[in-house]
Amino acid sequence: MSGLTAAVEAAEVGCEVYIVEKNPYLGGKVTQINQYFPKLCPPNCGLEINFQRIKKNPRIHFFTMAEVEEISGQEGNYEVSVKINPRYVNENCTGCGKCVEACPAERANAFNYGLDKTKAIYLPHEFAFPMKYVIDDQSCQGAGCGKCAEVCEYQAIDLSMQPKNVKLNVGAIIWATGWEPYDATKLSYYGFGRYDNVITNVMMERLAAPNGPTKGKIVRPSDGKEINSVAFIQCAGSRDENHLHCCSSVCCLASLKHATYVREQYPDAKICIYYIDIRARGKYEDFFTKVQEEANITLIKGKAGEVKEDPSTKELVVIAEDQEAQKVREEKFDLVVLATGMAPSTAASKVPADVSYDEDGFLISDSGIYAAGCVKHPLDVASAVRDATATALKAIHSTVRGQQ
Amino acid sequence: MEQKNTLTEPVKYDLSFAREIYSLENGYYIKQCMQCGMCAVACSTREIMDYSPRQLFNLIKLGKKEEVLSANTFWYCTSCCTCKARCPRGVPLVDVMHDLKKYAIEQGYDQYPQAAFYKAFWAEVAGRGKVFEGGVTARYYLIRGLDEVKKALAMKDVGMNMLKHKRLPLLPPKKVRGLGDLKKIIHKAQELQRKEARA
Amino acid sequence: MEKKIGVYICTGCGIGDALDIEALSKVAAGEYKVDICKTNNFLCGKEGVELIKKDIEAEGVNTVVIAGCSSRVNYDVFNFGSDKIVERVNLREQVIWCHPANDEDTQMLAEDNLRMGLAKQKNMNLPEPYLVEDMSKAILVVGGGLTGLTAALDAARAGYKTVLVEKEAELGGYAGKMYKQVPLKPPFTELEENCIPGLIKAVQDAGVKIYTSATIEKTAGAPGMFNVTIKQNDSTVQERVGAIVLATGAKPYDPEKLAHLGYGKYENVITQAALEEMAAAGKLEAGKVAFIQCAGSRDQEHLPYCSAACCIESMKQALYIKEKNPEASVYVYYKDIRANGQYEHFYKKAQQEGIIFIKADVTDISEEDGKLTIEADDHTMGTKSIADEFDLVVLANGMVPTAALGEVVQLNEPAEEEAAAASDEPKVELPPVIKANLLNLDYRQGPELPPLKYGFPDSHYICFPYETRRTGIYAAGVVRAPMDMLSAVEDATGAALKAIQCVEATAKGEAVHPRSGDLSYPEFNMTRCTQCKRCTEECPFGAINEDEKANPLPNPTRCRRCGTCMGACPERIISFKNYSVPMIGNMVKAIEVPEELEEKPRILVFACENDAIPALDMAGINRLQYNPWVRIIPVRCLGSLNLVWVNDAMAKGFDGVLLMGCKHGDDYQCHFIKGSELAEYRLSKVSETLDRLGLESERVRAITVSIMDYDKIPEILDKFAEDLEELGPNPMKDFQ
Repeated sequence: MSGLTAAVEAAEVGCEVYIVEKNPYLGGKVTQINQYFPKLCPPNCGLEINFQRIKKNPRIHFFTMAEVEEISGQEGNYEVSVKINPRYVNENCTGCGKCVEACPAERANAFNYGLDKTKAIYLPHEFAFPMKYVIDDQSCQGAGCGKCAEVCEYQAIDLSMQPKNVKLNVGAIIWATGWEPYDATKLSYYGFGRYDNVITNVMMERLAAPNGPTKGKIVRPSDGKEINSVAFIQCAGSRDENHLHCCSSVCCLASLKHATYVREQYPDAKICIYYIDIRARGKYEDFFTKVQEEANITLIKGKAGEVKEDPSTKELVVIAEDQEAQKVREEKFDLVVLATGMAPSTAASKVPADVSYDEDGFLISDSGIYAAGCVKHPLDVASAVRDATATALKAIHSTVRGQQ
Repeated sequence: MEQKNTLTEPVKYDLSFAREIYSLENGYYIKQCMQCGMCAVACSTREIMDYSPRQLFNLIKLGKKEEVLSANTFWYCTSCCTCKARCPRGVPLVDVMHDLKKYAIEQGYDQYPQAAFYKAFWAEVAGRGKVFEGGVTARYYLIRGLDEVKKALAMKDVGMNMLKHKRLPLLPPKKVRGLGDLKKIIHKAQELQRKEARA
Repeated sequence: MEKKIGVYICTGCGIGDALDIEALSKVAAGEYKVDICKTNNFLCGKEGVELIKKDIEAEGVNTVVIAGCSSRVNYDVFNFGSDKIVERVNLREQVIWCHPANDEDTQMLAEDNLRMGLAKQKNMNLPEPYLVEDMSKAILVVGGGLTGLTAALDAARAGYKTVLVEKEAELGGYAGKMYKQVPLKPPFTELEENCIPGLIKAVQDAGVKIYTSATIEKTAGAPGMFNVTIKQNDSTVQERVGAIVLATGAKPYDPEKLAHLGYGKYENVITQAALEEMAAAGKLEAGKVAFIQCAGSRDQEHLPYCSAACCIESMKQALYIKEKNPEASVYVYYKDIRANGQYEHFYKKAQQEGIIFIKADVTDISEEDGKLTIEADDHTMGTKSIADEFDLVVLANGMVPTAALGEVVQLNEPAEEEAAAASDEPKVELPPVIKANLLNLDYRQGPELPPLKYGFPDSHYICFPYETRRTGIYAAGVVRAPMDMLSAVEDATGAALKAIQCVEATAKGEAVHPRSGDLSYPEFNMTRCTQCKRCTEECPFGAINEDEKANPLPNPTRCRRCGTCMGACPERIISFKNYSVPMIGNMVKAIEVPEELEEKPRILVFACENDAIPALDMAGINRLQYNPWVRIIPVRCLGSLNLVWVNDAMAKGFDGVLLMGCKHGDDYQCHFIKGSELAEYRLSKVSETLDRLGLESERVRAITVSIMDYDKIPEILDKFAEDLEELGPNPMKDFQ
C-alpha cells in the first residue's frame, strides 16, 4: 500500500515511476486484510481506485515477481538492477482459468497463510492486479507435465521462462517493502505451531475474509467447529526485548476489530483481550469505545504468560495475571489469536545499498534512498499512506536537486 | 491462587524506599518494569507467593517498605530463570530477587526459614570454601532455634537413609586450598558491590 | 468529430462457445449499421490488437467498441491513444461467466449489452480540458507552526512559489515555544533541540514569501486560481495561488474546564503549555511533580478522543524535570501509556530515568500550604492511593483543532427549510460549518473546510487520508487530526505533495483523486436553468457558487467529476462531453423489453462503477450464477443518477429498477461523499410519482453493496426478481 501510494502520488505530479514488486500482484499486505479499522470497510475498495489510477496513468510502469538486486550511483542518478523472476505465464493470459482445471499439482496457499491449498498454477486472489495467472515452480511438475500449456488456447504458458534482468535509471528510490508478521513460533510459551487452535492476527484476517479459506466463517482450525470463546493476546512479540523491541502500533486496534468479526458471527461468544496498554491513539479512541460498548468484550489488564492445550479437546487455557483483580487467571478458550507485531521486511532482507537501520531493523530514510511506510515505522494503513505521500515529495526533491 | 493483598488503606507513595532498592546491584532494572505481568505467570512458585514479582515491583515503586520486605516472594524464588528469560523489558528478575534477599536480611527481615537457610549456606561457603551438607543443616537449625530442632529430629529417618546411600557425608570435607585468598576475593567483591551499587 | 465506428467482438475465453456470435454481429452491423464489425478469437492478443489498429489506420476508425472482457482488464492493450473513443462491452464477467451458455436469455443479455455500448458511444465525445486563464501554481500555506513551516519548505524545495501566512507576530506556533522536543529519529530515546529556529531559517532561505501577524480575510476562486485576501496589520494584500495547505494547528483544551483537577483553584496545577514556558525560561525548579494524563482527553464530558501526543509529551517534560533536578520525584498518572511504535524506547528511557508511571484514575486533588495532594484509584495495585507534597501538578490537557473553534452554522436558510417542510419535499441537508475564521472561503457551501467528527476537517478515507471535500485545499497536522510531532512532519510533506499535484493536474485540466486524470467536466446550458439551487447545494465538493439570482456559477477546477450536479438537475441542463443524461437515457432505451406475454421480465440496474461494478465482475470471476433479466448500467456515482432515467425505464416497461451504490452514513464508503444517499433521497421523491401512475414504488429500490459483497450479488438480484414477480409485470409494458 505504501509503495503503491508513493508511486501513484508521484506519477500524478508528473514523474515517471517504476514499481518493483516481489509478489505476482500489487497491493501488498492490505490485499490480505478483510476489513480496515475503524470503518470496517474492505481494502479492495481503495485498491480498486488505486489500480484505476495506475491503469489511467501512462507514467507508471510496474514489474511483478521482481526484486532489486543492485543499486549504484547517487542521489539524482541511480542505476538499479532488477531481477524479474519467471511467472511462467506471459502477457497473453486472459485470466480465463482453464489451466487451473487441468493442473494436477497443489501448493499451500501463501495468500491464506497456508490455511488452504491452490493448484500449482493459480490466480493469487480474485482481485489480483494484474489479473494474470502464475505458476509456483516449487510445486509445479514442470515441462514433463505441461497439462496447463496444452489446454491454454492463447499460448500464455511458457514453462521454460527464465529470470530476466532490467536496468533502470532513476533519480530517487523509495523503499517501501513493508513488514512481515513476527514469527510466532518464537513465542514458545504461546504454543503457536504446536497447538492447532492458536492462530495469529493475520490468519484471523483470512479466516474472516469472504474470499478466505473458510469463506469468511471463523472456526477452530483443528476441527472446523464453531467457537464459543476466543482470546486475543496482545503484544505477542511486540514491546519485548527478546523479540520486537518497539510497539507495533496497530495490533490493539486490529484485535478490537477482530472482536467485531467474532461478535458479528457469534453473538454469545466470550471475547477476552489480554493487554498491557490499549493503544488506540487519536480518533481511534472512538473505535475502542464503540467496540467496548457494542461487542461486549472483556479486557484483561495483564500480558498473557502462557497458553496450554488440552490434547483431547484441543481446548486452550490462557494464563495471565489479571491486575485489576490482583490474581492469576486461567481461562478456557476455543481459539487464541496472537496479536503478532510487525517486523520490518528489512530485518530479514536488506537494501542492496549503503543504508542504515534502527535496532529492530527498520530502515532509516536518507536523501536519495527513502523509506516509506511500515519499513520505516510500524504504522496503521492511513498513516502509512500519509507517510508514502510525503515520501513521494521527498523523492521529487531528490530529482530537483539532481537537476541542479 | 488468590494473591495476598493487605493494602486496605490508601497507599501513600514514597520514593525514598524505591530509591534505596534501585541502588542495589540490579535494583536499577526494576525501574524498567512496565507492569505487564509476564513474570507472574512465568513463575513456577507463583501459587504460594504473597505477591507476584510484578506486584512486588509495583510496591517498591510506591514505597511500601514493610510489605515488600516481609513478603515471601523473593524467598520462594527458586532461581529457575523463566521470568528473567521471558521478561519483555529485560529485567533480570532472579538477580533482583537475590539482591532483595540480601537486603531484607540486612534490614532484619529474616523470619522466613529460607532466610535462615540462605544465611547458613552462605556462612558455610564463606567459611569453608565449599558446602558441607551437615554443616549447613546444623547452622540452619541453630539459626531457627530450638523448636525447629524437634522438626529436624522428626526427619532423622530421611537423614539416615541419605547417609546409607552416601548422599550425605558424615564428616566435613577438607577446606579448599587458599581459603584466605578466597576470603579476600569475597571481601573485595562485596566492597565493589557496595561501591558500584551506590554509584 | 465525425465518428467512424468499429465493433470488435472477441470470441475467446469461451464467449464464442457460449453465445451466437453471428446474431450478435447482426445487432451491430444490422440494427446499428456500424461501419465495421469484426470478430476475433483472441482480441487482446497481438493479432487481435493489430486488427483494430489496422482499421484505425486504413479505415479511419476513431470509435472502437470492444465486446469481450470487462474494462477492468486489458485497459493497456486496448489503449489506442487519447484521440480515440474506446467503449468496452462486457460479455465475459457479466454475461457468460454468470449465465448458462447457449441459452436464449443469455444471448438476449449479450445483445442488449452490445446495444447499450453502441448507444453509449453515440453520445460520447472526446473531452476537451478546461484550462484556467492566468493559472497560478503557487502554494499557500496557512499557519506557521511546525506543520506549516515544513509544508512551506517542502513545497518551495520542489520548486514552487510558496506563500506562508501566520496569525502571530512570530513564526513557530506551539512547537516554537517548546524548550526541547521529543525524539524524531532513532534511537528515539534522546530529547532533541527545538527544530523550529532552524526550520524558520530554512523557510526564509528557500524564498518562501512570509506574512506574519496576518490572517486570511477571504479566499475566492478555485484551484489554479485562488484569489486570497490577506490582512496584515491594517492593510490587505492579494495573492493568487493554485492550492492551499491548511496547517493552523490546534489549541490546548481549555484548562478552565478542568476544575475537577484543581485547575484555576490551585496555582500550582498547570498545563503542559505552561510547563514548556517555565522550562524554556529556565524557571523549572520543582522537587516533586505529577503529570496527569488524559486531562480532558478520552473523557466523554470533555474530549472523547485521545489527543495522541500527550503521553510522549509528558514523558519529555518529565525528563526536563529530571534534567534540571536528578533528585526530583516525578509521577505520571495514566490510563494507558500510548507510546506507539518506536516511542516504546522513549517510554523505557523515561522509566530508566526514574519517572514513576502509575495506571490510575485521579479522584481528587487538594492543596495545603502550597503543596498538592493527589488521590487516585491505582489499577495495577487494585487499591486507592494517595500522594502528597507535590510542588507542581501538570495537566496533559490535550488538543482541540483550530478548525473546531468558532460558531457552528447551518447553511440551509430557514425560509427554504420551511418551504421544503411545507411542500413535504425531502430536502438535502447541508452539513454544518464551523466559522473558524481560518480560510473564509467564498463558497456557496460555507467559509471553511467541512468538519468531520469533533471538528477535525479530516479525510474520511483510510486509503486516501488526503481526500478533501474542498478540492485543492489540504488540511495537515493537528488541525486535521490529533497527532504527535513525528506524524505532523510527515503529514505536512504529504499535504504539500497533494497541493503540488493539484496545481499540476489543474494546469492540464485534469481532475484530481479519485477520478485522477479525467478531462471531462460539467457544462451548464444556462438558458434552461430554473435557479432551483439543487446543484449548488448537492455538490459534495462545494464546486458551484451562486449569483444573487441563484444562478449556478460552476468552478470546473473545484470539480471532481462525479456528476452529482447532473443527477440533481431536474431540467437536465448539466452534462459532460462523455457522460450525460441523454447518453444513459439512450442506453436505457436501447435495451429491448420483451412483451408481457413472453414472460421475460427486465430489471434495470444502475451500478456505481467504483464498488458495485467490480463486485459484479467478481461474481463473474467466481462463476456465481444469477437471473438473466438484469441489465446493468455503470454510473460514475449514484449521485449522478437522474430521475428521468428511472422514469424512462418504467415507461419503457422495465419491471424494476435497482440502484447499487456504496454505503452511506457516518462510515460512508461513497467516494463522492454522499452519492448513494442523494440517490436514495431522489428515489423517495419518485415513489410518489410511481404511485400516481399506478406503479408500485417497490419496483424501484436502492441498496448498498461493498466491493466484497460479490458473494451476495446473486441473492440480491434473485430476491429482487422474485419480489417483482410477485408484483406482476409492469402494466406499462405493452404501451411503449
